Amino acid sequence: MLSHVRSFSWWCLIVAGLLPLSRAAAVPPLDFFICATLNRNYVVGSKIVTTNGLFQRDPAQGWAHLGYNDTTLTGVAFDPRDRRVFYTSALNGCWRTLDGGQTWQITTGWGITEGRDVAVDPNAPDHVYLAFVNGVAVSTDRGRTWTRREKGLPDRGKYTQAIEVDRTRQGRVLAGCETGIHLTRDGGQRWRRVLMTRGTVNDLQQSWHDPKIWVAVTDRDGAWASQDQGDTWKQFPTVPTDHALYNIAMDPTQPQRLVIGSWGHGVLTTEDGGKTWQSRNLGLPAPAQVWRVGIEPATGRLLASVVGQTLFASDDFGRTWTREALDGSRVNAFITVPRINAPAVGKK
Amino acid sequence: MKHLSLFACLLLCALPSLRAQPSFSGPMPSREVIADPAERRKAYHARLNEVIDWVAGDTKYRTDDPANFDIAEVIARLIRRQDVEGCSRRVIELMRQPGTGPFWMFPTVCLAYTGRDLLSPEAQASIRAAWRTSRQIRGDTENHFVMYYVSLYLMNELYPDDAGDQWYTGLSSAENRAEAKAYLTHWMDLATTVGQGEFNPTHYIGEYAIPLLFLKAWARDPEMSKRGHIMLDWLFAELAETSLQGVLRGPSARTDEGSVIERWNGMVSHFSWLLFGNTPPPAAYAIWGVYFSFAGTAYELPEVIYRIAVDRNGDYEHRDHKRTRRRWRFSDVEWAPIYKTSYMRTDYAVGSYQGGLADPIQTHVWDVTWAEPDPRGKHNTMFSLHPHASGRVMQTYFATYPEPMVNAVTFEGKPSYNSPDKVMGCSPYEQVFQSLDTVIALYDIARGERFPQINGFFSKDLKDVTEDASGWIFARGGNAYLAYRPLAPYRWIPYLHFNSGWAKQRRDLGGRLLVSEHLKNGTIVQAASVSEFASFEAFQAAMRALPLTFTLDPVPSVKLKTLRGKTVSFTYGKPPVLDGKPVNYAAWKLFESPHLNAELHSRRLVITHGSLRRTLDAAALTLTDGPAGAP
Repeated sequence: MLSHVRSFSWWCLIVAGLLPLSRAAAVPPLDFFICATLNRNYVVGSKIVTTNGLFQRDPAQGWAHLGYNDTTLTGVAFDPRDRRVFYTSALNGCWRTLDGGQTWQITTGWGITEGRDVAVDPNAPDHVYLAFVNGVAVSTDRGRTWTRREKGLPDRGKYTQAIEVDRTRQGRVLAGCETGIHLTRDGGQRWRRVLMTRGTVNDLQQSWHDPKIWVAVTDRDGAWASQDQGDTWKQFPTVPTDHALYNIAMDPTQPQRLVIGSWGHGVLTTEDGGKTWQSRNLGLPAPAQVWRVGIEPATGRLLASVVGQTLFASDDFGRTWTREALDGSRVNAFITVPRINAPAVGKK
Repeated sequence: MKHLSLFACLLLCALPSLRAQPSFSGPMPSREVIADPAERRKAYHARLNEVIDWVAGDTKYRTDDPANFDIAEVIARLIRRQDVEGCSRRVIELMRQPGTGPFWMFPTVCLAYTGRDLLSPEAQASIRAAWRTSRQIRGDTENHFVMYYVSLYLMNELYPDDAGDQWYTGLSSAENRAEAKAYLTHWMDLATTVGQGEFNPTHYIGEYAIPLLFLKAWARDPEMSKRGHIMLDWLFAELAETSLQGVLRGPSARTDEGSVIERWNGMVSHFSWLLFGNTPPPAAYAIWGVYFSFAGTAYELPEVIYRIAVDRNGDYEHRDHKRTRRRWRFSDVEWAPIYKTSYMRTDYAVGSYQGGLADPIQTHVWDVTWAEPDPRGKHNTMFSLHPHASGRVMQTYFATYPEPMVNAVTFEGKPSYNSPDKVMGCSPYEQVFQSLDTVIALYDIARGERFPQINGFFSKDLKDVTEDASGWIFARGGNAYLAYRPLAPYRWIPYLHFNSGWAKQRRDLGGRLLVSEHLKNGTIVQAASVSEFASFEAFQAAMRALPLTFTLDPVPSVKLKTLRGKTVSFTYGKPPVLDGKPVNYAAWKLFESPHLNAELHSRRLVITHGSLRRTLDAAALTLTDGPAGAP
């Protein structure tokens, strides 16, 4: 029996102050990227017939491809000191470029494979964290070497889908695993579980407006928020739990706006900090099997990747939708990072 | 030099084929045992040569337009020294659009080694450049990893001193070799201590045998060459042991529906034909199998393995230990043990493992299969299964979410996965016990399961199917009598077949399914040879007379005295009891049979047949031949 379920009335008191405008900090200029697969039904062995991988929104509102062509990219993380240095999580583990994608090195061996997410510590940019199917690996030398740091993670149940570094403190990292959210304060030397779940934690995000606030979504236990930097978690009581929630995004332009992407529920949005949630699937192809949602940091424009379809965009936070570019795409990650000359605040 | 001698051998064999037609459409090969080693080798080389003929154009195998040659066709022509200049030009074209992943890597390695003294410098440079500029994906299965790392290893031996900027990995030749060697050693250790993960594959045997052959043929490091040799013998010894008349029998970690119902119809039969010569090769799988023939003269099947395959003196029971596919989630163990049993007779074979999840999609758990004079087109099998399909199982083995993959895989080469009337797949709700030629499969299907039924396969090739008042269903398959006992009411539906992994439509090939829509359920199958009974009626009478009791609540439970006089008690969720003793799976060896014996974790397999004996020691890296009975 889970002990984390709280009553709705108690929760409302909490949620009322979840994302207060008065506490919102100035958000630095941000850049926006996606990891996308355009090659439908790719399986290992079949031909790659399209360009896949990392794309950046360019000034002409197109999507410019960066780096290498890989159908298996799940995440990217940049060195906040040098945008030319970045890391990708992919089927092979972790790739690294030091020259803006001109040359690459696969940094992980056969024991660290099927990367699910990657993060750089903005306060120790040589430190890179990789979430993968069998745990967490940490590099302290910009990906040159990796060590599995899993003390405190369960012996079984280490599957890690999401990893995020707290941008306020070096070595403070949250990992979304098969059995809950785990937190380390020492760069992965020791982990402790701060939320127990019945299924995988699929996404973790730190607020751009208030770094104490984190949100997460799960396979079987709905959506969660933390107001104390991830030490304790409360469930959003009105977010459904009958289908897996794939990812969650927080709007850099308006702190009360969040969006969840789900295969079973499509797009769910809140504009009041999580008190009420609306289904925003009108105009999306039915059934709205949404792989990922994202919010463009400059405009607050909502994007939804619908499986087997394309990228859809909404300028009214999901009330209406239009087809975007990248026909046939599946976006594996929307990534928001501080512009390189802005204060280093890390990924997302 | 090794590669020159390979070419010399192949050139000697490159005589005009005298065959009226290729073996895949020709008459059944003779099953006479070839006792003379020289004759055996000659026959093997003739088969290798025939494969190269297929590809090189003697039978217009695929295309005779050089502009459309694929890598295999180029290699075959290089071996035949046909239009070598044209081959070089075609290689340069092919390398302009390199593939990604192990299925491109290992053919390209074969091309690089075959063409190293033949292709133009420009063509060789184009291959080399592709390994710098392309992005190779390692994959997510054991066969992917084996292909990937053998390929990486061999290419980095071919270019041993290059810096990291010359490889797509960004790592130096030495670093690439070290990583590849570490993985391959790890995989071989696993396979020789607790068994293969993708055990007894009907198609994926090629994904292991071909790169292992390349390793044996081309690795400069004697250790790696020896490792390849040991693993080839290991793989083929088990193939010989679990085949009947060249057709692989029993359970398979990964197969497809075509091979499940038509047991001959798999890549594995290409290898049986090549190595044992006792079954025809399926044409469809020659596309893959050809790569073995390109380097096939580098391997010679040991006589002891050949004899196991073709020279049987009597019935035998074989047990071995394998492991499941690696589980990322929802499991207390990374690999769960698989306990396999095979019972081989002249007229039929019975094989099974204990049930449960092995591979999420493509597993075949148990069957009774009978021998056919010509197995082509014959659905020579009987079995049942629970058609399980779930997002949770997908998440157990794959980095995926609960919903998408269940349906997605039906568009990715596994069309039946999400069908209630499928005939392939394992289930967490199936438990199986086999004693010689008796199989009991019990099912306790959870409420809420999407497909709350079991499916029994009844082939078009069964004769005299009789639904007896006793509850048994009797039939004949070849020279085998079969008795199938459903433990719950059932109905019949036609069997509809996806005739390829990518097929959208199903076809009625004949045959039907026994569908029993009861959560608590079971199947008993007993087989016997026709020659054991005076008549079919006598077999039926014997079966009716067997003491049998069963219950389905609270869980399925069977007590049976088998046709072989064994008393079996089997209750779902409990260890089977055979002649009063609980079956001790913990004592299961890596191999245990009259022909193959290995202790768990030993890395040492002893192969015997008659007076022949060969010991494969993957720890000491030795292959030792000696008389049977030697230490």
